[in-house]
Amino acid sequence: MRVTFLNVGVRRTLFACAFVAFMIAAAGNASAELTATANHDHIKIDFFYHGGTVSVRGVSDRGTDLIIKITSPEGHEVLRQKGRLAGLLWMNVGKLTFEKVPNLYSIHSTKKLEDILSADEMDKYILGYPALEKHAEVGPVAGEDEKTEWFNHFVKFKESSQLYSTSLGKINITEQGGKQNYYVLLEWPYQAQPDHYTVSVYAVKDKKVVETAEAHVLVDQVGMVKSLAGMAKNNGALYGIISILAALGAGFGVGMVFRKGGGAH
Amino acid sequence: MYLYLPVALTSIHVFIPVGLGLAVGLLSGLFGVGGGFLMTPLLIMFGIPSTVAAATDSNQIVAASTSGTYAHWRVGNVDFKMGFYLLAGGFTGGLVGVQAIKVLNAMGNADFVIKMTYVFMLGIVGTYMLIESLGSMRKKPSEKAVTTKESSVTRFFKSLPMQTHFEKSGVTHSALVPIFFGTLVGVLAAIMGVGGGFLMVPVMVYILRMPMHVVVGTSLFQILFNCIEVTFLQSYTNHNVDFILAVLLLLGSTIGAQVGAVFGRKLKGEQLKVILAVIVLAVTVKIVLDLTLNPSLLLTQGGGH
Repeated sequence: MRVTFLNVGVRRTLFACAFVAFMIAAAGNASAELTATANHDHIKIDFFYHGGTVSVRGVSDRGTDLIIKITSPEGHEVLRQKGRLAGLLWMNVGKLTFEKVPNLYSIHSTKKLEDILSADEMDKYILGYPALEKHAEVGPVAGEDEKTEWFNHFVKFKESSQLYSTSLGKINITEQGGKQNYYVLLEWPYQAQPDHYTVSVYAVKDKKVVETAEAHVLVDQVGMVKSLAGMAKNNGALYGIISILAALGAGFGVGMVFRKGGGAH
Repeated sequence: MYLYLPVALTSIHVFIPVGLGLAVGLLSGLFGVGGGFLMTPLLIMFGIPSTVAAATDSNQIVAASTSGTYAHWRVGNVDFKMGFYLLAGGFTGGLVGVQAIKVLNAMGNADFVIKMTYVFMLGIVGTYMLIESLGSMRKKPSEKAVTTKESSVTRFFKSLPMQTHFEKSGVTHSALVPIFFGTLVGVLAAIMGVGGGFLMVPVMVYILRMPMHVVVGTSLFQILFNCIEVTFLQSYTNHNVDFILAVLLLLGSTIGAQVGAVFGRKLKGEQLKVILAVIVLAVTVKIVLDLTLNPSLLLTQGGGH
């Protein structure tokens, strides 16, 4: 298992400079028992970035179930809503605003959430899509049923770009004395935008969260990617002129090459 | 090899944009269209946000149409005078169209009007071009001369002031005619959010009666200027142009446009019209299917259209 991880890890982390590999993030803070460490606390987006993997490992009390949640800060999203017009044509019929929703939400647990946690606890820690739905505000909708319906469409939309995900039984646990070591290797989607991400680990017993620990992952752009994105945002006029000149130059350049190459006229 | 796109905030395999550029550039060089009506939906399909797809496409069309205009100009197939009149109209039309969208948005059924305009314009243009060009391919040259009897429209055009001769195209029109139709295409293009090449080409062929090969070169020339304007405005106001994506696209499209221009010279005007008509009709069918088949996602990213 460890060997597989290294192979996959080494291959997938070519995008990041070697020195960031296995740097230790903020360690568990809630208790002396539960700890959480992410192998990358800083994911750097350069030209060749295509996502990667993040592994989370730590120690928890023997016999506890574990839930690992990765989220970005809460924000709001405005999406276009499709509906049937005159019962025939699919059109954009309006806009829906989703408040208090993270851009990335990824939940991994040792067992089904409903089997190991009470509904109150799930809501308290916003664990699982139903809890996130209760926490989120969706508008404009007529009543709770419509909220649920559109929230489900929202989850489907996010899952289609790998930003929302859930998994069951992916967390690997090995017992050692009175403790257990856990380890999980997660795909980090390239669609996840530059942001500060929080990895929260919950130790669960008797349908209650008994301990929590946190680690952080920073995703940001570096080098040329950062300069170009910054210029596009902060100096639109110059960026536009450079883009146009480059296109004109390329057009003429290729035209000249073809004239020399063709020579028929 | 994957490359990260700093504005689109996503990663794409380089073969995808280069290949798309090559294919759409080829059509551009052949028919004098920008190809936005093909490229933008394709880019969205490959995970590029819709607003970035449209803005970046206009950036790469600058390159493809420069390459194409240059190739057509070398063999004397660009009517600059006609191009300038059409541009003047198109520019005015664009301003009017943007205001029209604001009104439609305020009325709340913008999407319906835009989609319907798109389907009808593509459908009418495609069908008319197909029937007309297939018909004239069957006719003998002697019969063609008989059919050019003056219609009431032609008589009306001749009665307008500011008559001027367009040497390259070999036609005489009032300057008001290209300006008016340039404006009309500009309004429609702005409403539909496309460059409008597929509308401008039939206008030049059927209304301005220009020869097909000059139409292609002249269309590319005016598309070039339109797309320079759009690229600048998109960069300046919306920050939606992805330079890296544009470079990947233009690597393919500039070469495609040259190949298209060379290949186009080997085809007859009628043959070009038939192929363009088939492509336009295929796109129409695709849009109609999108409108009627159940979509996989009922929520999409906001902005643009």
